[in-house]
Amino acid sequence: MDNSGKEKEAIQLMAEADKKVKSSGSFLGGMFGGNNKVEEACEMYARAANMFKMAKNWSASGNAFCQAARLHMQLQNKHDSATSYVDAGNAFKKADPHEAIKCLNAAIDIYTDMGRFTIAAKHHITIAEVYESELVDIEKAIAHYEQAADYYKGEESNSSANKCLLKVATYSAQLEQYQKAIEIYEQVGTNTMDNPLLKYSAKEYFFKASLCHFIVDELNAKLAIGKYEEMFPAYSDSRECKLLKKLLEAYEEQNAEAFTEAVKEFDSISRLDQWLTTMLLRIKKTIQGDEGDLK
Amino acid sequence: MSSDFETYEQDFGTLTAEITNKIGRIPKLAAEEKTQLVLNVDKQLEEVRELLEQMDLEVREIPIQSRGMFNSRLKSYKQEMEKLEKDFKRSRIAYSDEVRNELLREDGGSSETQRAHLLDNTESLERSSRRLDAGYQIAVETEQVGQEILTNLATDREKIQRSRDRLRETDANLGKSSRILTGMLRRIIQNRILVFILGAIILLTIVLALYFNLRGH
Repeated sequence: MDNSGKEKEAIQLMAEADKKVKSSGSFLGGMFGGNNKVEEACEMYARAANMFKMAKNWSASGNAFCQAARLHMQLQNKHDSATSYVDAGNAFKKADPHEAIKCLNAAIDIYTDMGRFTIAAKHHITIAEVYESELVDIEKAIAHYEQAADYYKGEESNSSANKCLLKVATYSAQLEQYQKAIEIYEQVGTNTMDNPLLKYSAKEYFFKASLCHFIVDELNAKLAIGKYEEMFPAYSDSRECKLLKKLLEAYEEQNAEAFTEAVKEFDSISRLDQWLTTMLLRIKKTIQGDEGDLK
Repeated sequence: MSSDFETYEQDFGTLTAEITNKIGRIPKLAAEEKTQLVLNVDKQLEEVRELLEQMDLEVREIPIQSRGMFNSRLKSYKQEMEKLEKDFKRSRIAYSDEVRNELLREDGGSSETQRAHLLDNTESLERSSRRLDAGYQIAVETEQVGQEILTNLATDREKIQRSRDRLRETDANLGKSSRILTGMLRRIIQNRILVFILGAIILLTIVLALYFNLRGH
């Protein structure tokens, strides 16, 4: 494909579209089918944006889409406007994350205005992902995930809501907001307990909740484990529960070696992922901190 | 005569010493040597018995006064011989024990084969426990994969349910819109008819007016 040629074409189209818009702004143009012209201009902007995409000129493409979106708003085409904003956001994702987030926020506003919360939630998730990966702003990511979860709950999509909530919990625990994480994990755990499809994952959620309890306070952890066992008998059979009990013992005896051993044993059977290792390390540090010697 | 007796005594002494020696060696030896030794000892015991009988005859030929001493010596020799025979029998029993052990254990180097066996066993035990561990790991991984799949299925289920509901809503909406459109169409037709009728009435009025005007002239 002749990319540079496409770019030139695209720039040409943009110029034409600009002219059209200006011309329709004047009184006479507005009288004689100004709307028509604006619509044509919209279309030309969209085509130009697509050509920029082909030429991989993401920011120009994003800009063109934004223009198109604004024109659509003028024409009161909310749906089209929102879609154009989303396209702009996607184009900007590859070039300038901040712009992308701005565009996506605009799109979300339009969608919530129209009452399409599911789609708005989906875009919240996209924004949160951008924060996660490119801008590494975990707090904002958490905020967006929470919004998305709330919207999903409102729309009764419980599994999508749970997915978002879990992400919120993971990140909050990382940021040491343990109370929040505990609540979320407990909530999700209780919800999934009843669902026959999901009950096998429930024990994992209880395990994570107990771990967070553990970091906060050891006594809490014991109470929590007792509570969960009562609620969910299968939990007591799981290897995770056994690991927790061993860890509690090691903690009581302030024995870092037994702790490490129990963790290693668990790891040999099923790998511990990043999050779990971080949490366990924190607990271990508290043990060693209490002991005060170098093991 | 007594010199004969003494020669017999000496022979007896050597023979018994040899027999004792051989009896001591019997239990420790291998099969063929043992059989040979056993035959040897048998022969020597026979010789010893013959010696004793001859000593007996000699003692009888000795005048009664000196017989006492020779008698006692003879008795002690007889006792010794009995003891040797007993020992011999015991060693032969030990001999048969040895044979049994040999049969059941393969070879004189038995401790080595035992060790090799034990090592083999330990190795196969270790191999099986390693395999069991690997199997357990795989089972746990499978469980985790299963969990993920189930969660995905649950999400998909909700999506499908939602889409179905939306579809039904859309269907209802479409029905409603089609009804509205038919309503619109009807009204359009009504309006058109009305327009035609009114137009016709106006035309009629104009024609009548003109007609009456012309008549009035």
